Amino acid sequence: MIGTDALNRMILLCRDCVASELSDEQIAQAFHQMRVLCVADRTNLSCHSAQTALVTLVSLLSRMGMQVELRIPEVAMRRAQPPFNGSEIRTALISASKRLVPHATIASAAEGNAADIVFSLGSSEVDCGTVPVWRMSGADWSGSIHSAGGERTPMWTTEWPIGGMVSAVLAANEAFKFAMRRLPLRQTSDEIFFEPATACSWDFGALSLPANGSIDLGRVDFISGGAITQAALYVLTRLAGAKMQGRVLDDDRTALSNLNRNMLSMVEDVDVSKVDVIVSRCSAHFPLEPVPQRFEPSRGTTIQLAPRVIVGVDDIPSRWAVQREAPGWVGVGGTSHFSISSSSHAMGGPCSGCLHPLDDPDQRNPIPTVAFVSFWAGLSTAVRLIREALGSAYPGERQHLWLTPLRLDQRHAAIWSPVPPLRNCPVRCAASRSVA
Amino acid sequence: MVVAVEKKFLVDVTYNGVTKPIEVRPEERVTALLAQAIASFGITQNPHLLSLYREDGTVVPENESVEQAGLKPNQLLLLRPNAVKGGEGNLLRLGSNIVTTSVDVLRSCGRGACECVVYWTGPVGEDVADAVDHPAHLRSAFGYEIDSNWLTQFWKRLAAARRGVKAQVHTHPAEAFHSATDDRWPIVSQAGFLSIVIPDFAEGESTLERAWIGRLQSNGTWQELASAAEALVVA
Repeated sequence: MIGTDALNRMILLCRDCVASELSDEQIAQAFHQMRVLCVADRTNLSCHSAQTALVTLVSLLSRMGMQVELRIPEVAMRRAQPPFNGSEIRTALISASKRLVPHATIASAAEGNAADIVFSLGSSEVDCGTVPVWRMSGADWSGSIHSAGGERTPMWTTEWPIGGMVSAVLAANEAFKFAMRRLPLRQTSDEIFFEPATACSWDFGALSLPANGSIDLGRVDFISGGAITQAALYVLTRLAGAKMQGRVLDDDRTALSNLNRNMLSMVEDVDVSKVDVIVSRCSAHFPLEPVPQRFEPSRGTTIQLAPRVIVGVDDIPSRWAVQREAPGWVGVGGTSHFSISSSSHAMGGPCSGCLHPLDDPDQRNPIPTVAFVSFWAGLSTAVRLIREALGSAYPGERQHLWLTPLRLDQRHAAIWSPVPPLRNCPVRCAASRSVA
Repeated sequence: MVVAVEKKFLVDVTYNGVTKPIEVRPEERVTALLAQAIASFGITQNPHLLSLYREDGTVVPENESVEQAGLKPNQLLLLRPNAVKGGEGNLLRLGSNIVTTSVDVLRSCGRGACECVVYWTGPVGEDVADAVDHPAHLRSAFGYEIDSNWLTQFWKRLAAARRGVKAQVHTHPAEAFHSATDDRWPIVSQAGFLSIVIPDFAEGESTLERAWIGRLQSNGTWQELASAAEALVVA
């Protein structure tokens, strides 16, 4: 019997589609039995982007309860990769075995190959017979995967890590779908959502980086210490040259059920305050202040928010409260089953209340989610913050992103859209008041 | 010879990243398109929370026809959750005379001896109630029963005028509460719908101070609100 507590939110999400008669244990077992081989050679693993791609992929796979095998050389880390400790990448990953999620092992690959699926970084050679293999590649702001046997993948040389993390989250999605294909679904019409992609890519849009390599994110408040905030900070800590002074507000403690998506948390953090976990994992990168309380102006919380705020809280009225009090830019990330929503709101423009105008009582129940979906929400919101800091915020027609990663190989799996000002905006923002 | 031209066309609906063409007719209600899309994708998890969105981020109004909503052939629509349907609604803005008019009607019809009911109506798509409708009904001290012919005409009249029922208001002989019958048979069963119960056959003051006010949730239960201010504001 395996524990399911750590995976219960993912199991809940799987229940959107799997046959009703399946027990939680049977669903968890399908993921625990998955063996995923990650392959990289020294040349491809020498750059920071590829290292970040590997670490992110291993983390996402483990947080889904899968067994990860590494066929990689020992390579010095180009940059710290929290929550992993150590200066060498293989040792750091293996030392996290069963510490991201109980029962999810990370080990060196044994001779031969017993993996169910394989991911190979860049041009790393791989020969695994009939086992499905995807090759991963990443540029500065874009990443892709494609089935082996197709076009040749170039050697990985990029340092800027965003594209590497994109390729990792695309790969993790394929692993999830592979596990889902082993489970009976409630209806055959859902099979289409879990079909494998032969090729898949995502591009956040090219952006020139400052010549001096420095990005000053300024003062940033993070509302909630949950999955979105942790994913966003996971991303930001990997940016060489990024500077930030921040605060993280949350009164919650880490629970076992958080580990399936909280990218900076480990098994030993259970029962530790989320803000303390985050601050300790990010301390080598940014001065962050833990604020162990909720942001609740209606209950007398008096906190002057920073010029930039990342909102990762699911509770929609809390998003309104932040938007009302925020003196500047607000980025909002959220998930809804297999989809994510990411938006940014500058002063004077349509606000998060215009986008999320009414409360959703379902958000008060345990929210179904899975590692790679939550990570997409944090990653895309972090990119919005970076672009804002660089003075290259997305234009109005990209104020909102609705993205469903399952079939990102499909044309309309991601939709950028403007946020129309809403006359009945609960925040009563300036843009909404201008609507006749 | 008159040739009947079939004006059907296809729109593309995307859900969970997968896009399917759905055939529509211009005069068809958007609700029918929505239902067709939900059925096409076989969605059984909280389908009532889903809405159709255009690429410009606006929601396609469900009370309109496909033509009125301006949908075009091959237009892409995103099927995704809409918290609007989640249950907790915006404040309903009341015309200044709505409460007093309602209490006057309830009081004069009930004459201190019978229950009575009125409906607050307003423009579709707006959180506004600007009229009070008093139905033809049977009445007693223990309840009321709406005349079915009146109800049919009422719905037709509302549809023609593009108006909807925003709340129902009825009286009880003594205490204000929601009975099991009240729970089961609201005139509108959509999440967010308001029900107000006024005590003492509305013989007291013309306010909602002592009223029971509840909002229908997406799971079919009623959430009692602490006060009228949580749901209503006089415009």
